[in-house]
Amino acid sequence: MILLRGVSKTFDGKRKVTALERIDLSIAKGEMASIVGPSGSGKSTMLNLIGGLDRPTRGEVELDGQPLSKLSDDELTRVRRDKIGFIFQFFNLLPTLSCLENVSLPLHLRGWPRKKVEERARELLDLVKLSARIDHLPDELSGGERQRVAIARALSVYPPILLADEPTGNLDTQTGVEILNLIHDLHDRLGATVLIVTHDKTVAESCPRTIQLRDGRVFADTRREEVAR
Amino acid sequence: MILLRLISWPYARKHLLRWLLTTAGIVLGVGVFVGMRTANKSVLAAFNQTIDRIAGSAQLQVTAGDAGFGEEVLDKVRDLPEVRAAAPVIEATVSYGETAQSNLLILGVDMLGDRNIRNYDLEGEDDADQAQAIDDPLIFLAQPDSLMVTKKFAEEHGLKVNSRLPMRTMQGDRTFIIRGIMKPGGLANAFGGDLAIMDIYAAQKMFGRGQKFDRIDIALPEETRLEDATAKLKAALGPGFQVEPPSSRGEQFESTSRMYALASNITSVFALFIGMFIIYNTFAIAVTERRSEIGILRALGATRGQIRTLFLVESALAGLAGTFAGVAFGIVMARAMAGYIGGMLTEIYGVAQSPGDLTLDPWLIGAAVAMGLATSLVAAVIPARSAARVDPVKALQKGGYQTLSEGENRVRRRWAMAFGAASVVAFAFSRFGIMTYVGYLLAILAAVLLSPALSFWLSRVLRPFLAGVRPVEGALAADSLIQAPRRTSGTIAALMLSIALVISLGGLARSSYDSLADWMRIALNPDFFVTTAETLSSRSFVFPGSLADGLRSVEGVTEVQPVRSVRTMVKNAPIMLIAGDIGMIAKRVTLPAVEGDPQEMYRLAAEEKGVVVSANFARLHDAHLGEVLDIPAPDGDLRLPIVGVVDDYSDQQGTLLINRSLYIRYWHDDAVNVFRVYVNPGADAAQVRQRILNKFGSQQRLFVLTNREVRDFITRLTDQWFGLTNVQTAVAVLVAILGIVNALTVSITDRRRELGVLQAVGGLRNQIRHTIWMEAVAIGIIGVALGAAFGAVQLFYSIEIARRDLIGISIHYEYPFQTALILIPVILGSALLAALGPAESAVRGSLIEALEYE
Amino acid sequence: MSKLLLFLLAVAPAFAQDPRQIILEVQKRQRSESQRYEGTLEVISQGNQVATKRWLYQRIGSFGNSKAILRFTAPAEVKGVGLLIVNHPDRASDQWMWRPAIGRDQRIALQDRSTRFFGTDFSFEDLEERDVDQYDYKLLADEGATWKIESRPRKSSQYSYSYFWIKKDNYTFVRIEAYSKKGLVRTIDYKDYEQIKGIWTARVTEVYDVARKSRTILKYEKLDYNLPMKDDDFTLQALRREL
Repeated sequence: MILLRGVSKTFDGKRKVTALERIDLSIAKGEMASIVGPSGSGKSTMLNLIGGLDRPTRGEVELDGQPLSKLSDDELTRVRRDKIGFIFQFFNLLPTLSCLENVSLPLHLRGWPRKKVEERARELLDLVKLSARIDHLPDELSGGERQRVAIARALSVYPPILLADEPTGNLDTQTGVEILNLIHDLHDRLGATVLIVTHDKTVAESCPRTIQLRDGRVFADTRREEVAR
Repeated sequence: MILLRLISWPYARKHLLRWLLTTAGIVLGVGVFVGMRTANKSVLAAFNQTIDRIAGSAQLQVTAGDAGFGEEVLDKVRDLPEVRAAAPVIEATVSYGETAQSNLLILGVDMLGDRNIRNYDLEGEDDADQAQAIDDPLIFLAQPDSLMVTKKFAEEHGLKVNSRLPMRTMQGDRTFIIRGIMKPGGLANAFGGDLAIMDIYAAQKMFGRGQKFDRIDIALPEETRLEDATAKLKAALGPGFQVEPPSSRGEQFESTSRMYALASNITSVFALFIGMFIIYNTFAIAVTERRSEIGILRALGATRGQIRTLFLVESALAGLAGTFAGVAFGIVMARAMAGYIGGMLTEIYGVAQSPGDLTLDPWLIGAAVAMGLATSLVAAVIPARSAARVDPVKALQKGGYQTLSEGENRVRRRWAMAFGAASVVAFAFSRFGIMTYVGYLLAILAAVLLSPALSFWLSRVLRPFLAGVRPVEGALAADSLIQAPRRTSGTIAALMLSIALVISLGGLARSSYDSLADWMRIALNPDFFVTTAETLSSRSFVFPGSLADGLRSVEGVTEVQPVRSVRTMVKNAPIMLIAGDIGMIAKRVTLPAVEGDPQEMYRLAAEEKGVVVSANFARLHDAHLGEVLDIPAPDGDLRLPIVGVVDDYSDQQGTLLINRSLYIRYWHDDAVNVFRVYVNPGADAAQVRQRILNKFGSQQRLFVLTNREVRDFITRLTDQWFGLTNVQTAVAVLVAILGIVNALTVSITDRRRELGVLQAVGGLRNQIRHTIWMEAVAIGIIGVALGAAFGAVQLFYSIEIARRDLIGISIHYEYPFQTALILIPVILGSALLAALGPAESAVRGSLIEALEYE
Repeated sequence: MSKLLLFLLAVAPAFAQDPRQIILEVQKRQRSESQRYEGTLEVISQGNQVATKRWLYQRIGSFGNSKAILRFTAPAEVKGVGLLIVNHPDRASDQWMWRPAIGRDQRIALQDRSTRFFGTDFSFEDLEERDVDQYDYKLLADEGATWKIESRPRKSSQYSYSYFWIKKDNYTFVRIEAYSKKGLVRTIDYKDYEQIKGIWTARVTEVYDVARKSRTILKYEKLDYNLPMKDDDFTLQALRREL
């Protein structure tokens, strides 16, 4: 499903910073993996490369066997919109839009008919148990609720890949657990490939596979049969 | 101030283009102010200089309007012991050159005695054949084709002594011979050096003036006081004559040109106003953008005062830069405008010119700098205050939007209501001139203060529509406006003012053209106008009255109406006196009556029992039906009651219509400026025209203008006028568009994260572009809506001011829907154009950064 | 001589010591009922350029009771321009100019008479003849062959005073120096005296304009006195007639 071959990413500046160095990695369809590592180890960079938000300096990222390096910006966007859902640490909801509108956003962008968009958005909000908050603005929600909206938005097209960057990083422990459970639940129900960047041990250990990064390289790649839920 | 170098300069350098755009408003406002003032002043200075140089050592001048007076007056003047020397003068401008675009001032003098008044410093005293030709007044007098020109004129036209210069005179084409070339300096510098001296008796023939002089220049004996001599001359000559020092011509001139200065002041205030909003906008934006920077500064110990001062100083510097650019721009503009004003005043006063050198008044520059500075400081006060209020802790946190608090909005709305109410009150008292302007100003303030609230409200109204077009892009575009009124309110206010200006000018133009077209249809209905010049406005040359019979005898002509028009001082203003056969004219022309009965007024005027005045004369000089006017004539004042007020647009200063027979009796002048010629219904107009030209064209200077040519000429003049205002309009709109660019640039900076999210969740680049474009279009729509509304008010005041203080012509209020309709695509198109750059930079930025920052 | 000009006076002597009498004697000896000559006028400017004009001069009567017409004959540009001078014993003369090219006559105003006479070094005032009684005279010096006399005008004039030099043997002018408040304005020298019909006549007069540093030499040709002339030929109508 997700394949990284010799992927390197360096940031040019006054001092060259190598965020990732020759990473080879394969994540199978339906897998749920966490990426951990100290800050600056390249976790977020890797997630961004997989999500097509950024391009590697060297190497190739393939999604479903499709190499991303040859794609134009708009083609990349199309891949993103069809295959990937994002969950951010700071939710990144648009503050001016209601929950329903925020969730509808990707669907509208795909040009879906209005009626279908609304149907799906309501369905998704139902899924994340926010049916009661449909017309509220993000400011009126708690952190956990906001993240649930963000998750609903990420799932709006039932993407085969869900990328979460510190989804619980901005939440209290209790809410974090709820969100994590939601993600697991969705993974089980929808069968999507899920990648979670985190430095929360609980979160990491809840995933069957944990990829540890250190100084831009894969330091460890562990799979566990039993996960703590 | 070290902060300025460390903090402001790098920011300014980074946003250089934006700062340049920001100062554009100041440049424009200061430019118009300086340009118009300088043009006025320079034209006035040039005029005074010409008057001064032409006057030579004359201390007094005797005139009697531009009808002139008989030669016998000269003897009367010379007989007075208070007169040391008296020299008669005919002064007229003729167009010369292939395109007839330039003017040559011809001074007809009596070479015998003129050197008592004027000094002719001639070239070539050392050159044998020239010396003879030049300094021999006998040859000059014996040969009426003699002409003396200035060295400048001679060089420009390749003329030497004994060169020939053909000119079209009232006696046909004549060739003049250069018999003297004046050295530069003194008289030769008058009228920018485009000056020729001719024998006065030859000038009488050339211009068809009969045995009349325009003026007598008088020098007094040393021991005689000016007042005594003036009193004696007035007593000897009677009330029909003006006896004044040469400098008084400049004073009249000044009062006329002041009118045009007023019109331009309004424009420059407007431009400064627009400029102020753009500066305000930029600074409001800068404060938002630099919030974290300000936070750091505050965290490092900068006081609120220091932050405030930093922004004020920045604004002052930008204002200063704009002011200096504006002064430069004004000087450039002054050159163009000086030509225009000069031409216009030449028409009224005979001698004026586009000045060779502009007169730069240091006080004016000072005032301009003060204005520019004040505008930029006032504009920066609110942003500087909010910069000072930035909370360092919050500023250093990520995220967060700044919105205008509801409280502030309410305060503004209250002020707006107060100003609006006050402007209505002012309108109620608008009888008193100044109140009109006060009301106008209050109305502008009210509109400006209301504009943020209105644009907020309009944005909300627009949101569903925009969202209907494009659910995501449209909604986001509208939300961007709703959420950050501070970002766009300045731009919208500027746009509103610009559009209001365009609407009001459009309305003025529309109504003026309509009124003019009506007037031309009624008043200018003859088939031909037989004139002495290519244009109707030149009054240098005149026909003898006897030509009327000659024209009548041309086959195919049914009616010939001789018309004499002379400028004369009535109520201390140079009014156009028109003398025609009223009985005849009334049968063909009935101008709309403003006061008095149409039939009755023409009957009374035809019976020499009264004068019909134009509505603009009545308004500008507060004259009414029944009032008795004193019209100065050579034999004493002609006292006539006003028997009617009609809409007549013949002259900007106003017109008086009297019967021709009365004029001939009082002025002893049967000269004619224009013959209005009507052709037999059955006759071929082109043939009649040719017959007139064949019969008279070779004997004398004569032009036959068709009805269409005359109307086109007048329309062209009006076009020129409004052409000038179109430039202002274009620049104002341009500045407003620049404001949109500015606002959008900031908008995308503010919304980087939002746009990043949009892309992350699958927004294509085009979709991002669309949202920016839609925001621009939304700004455009709101601007047009507010501008079109405020334009209605603005038009009202423009008409008021034009009627009251500028031209006295009452223009009916007609909202220029056409202009407003045209503005919609123009402004929306321009807004879209303005959005292209910002939209591109929005899709080009790094997604990662957009998502992570703030 | 002639009397085109100068002679801001005229005169003749009874007693040599009385300046008024000297002037009266000059006038008496110059007296003729009419005069005619063809004048050639050369104006020599500071830069030594020479401009030549010619005219025909006719006079009827003498001194304060005379009338004269002067008409230019050359150069071609000025041919036909005429000047009528009607002298009065008690006041300044009346002068009219006729300009054939525009067909009109024009009175020459008193105020204009101090101006130069048509580009020569004479002024219009120099052309008129005035009565002896319009001046006060003072004998300044007896210089052997000549007297030096000061003349001061009683009426308005461009000159404040003038000095005359008059030959004792034949009572003819030798030189005049005319002064204004500012100093010497012009000098006139009389040369080449010759007796015509018993009248001592200068055939050449030379005027020098001090300010302009310019000279005018007037030569009198075909000069004759006491020819029969008609009063009618010295009117405005006559002036308007072409030659």
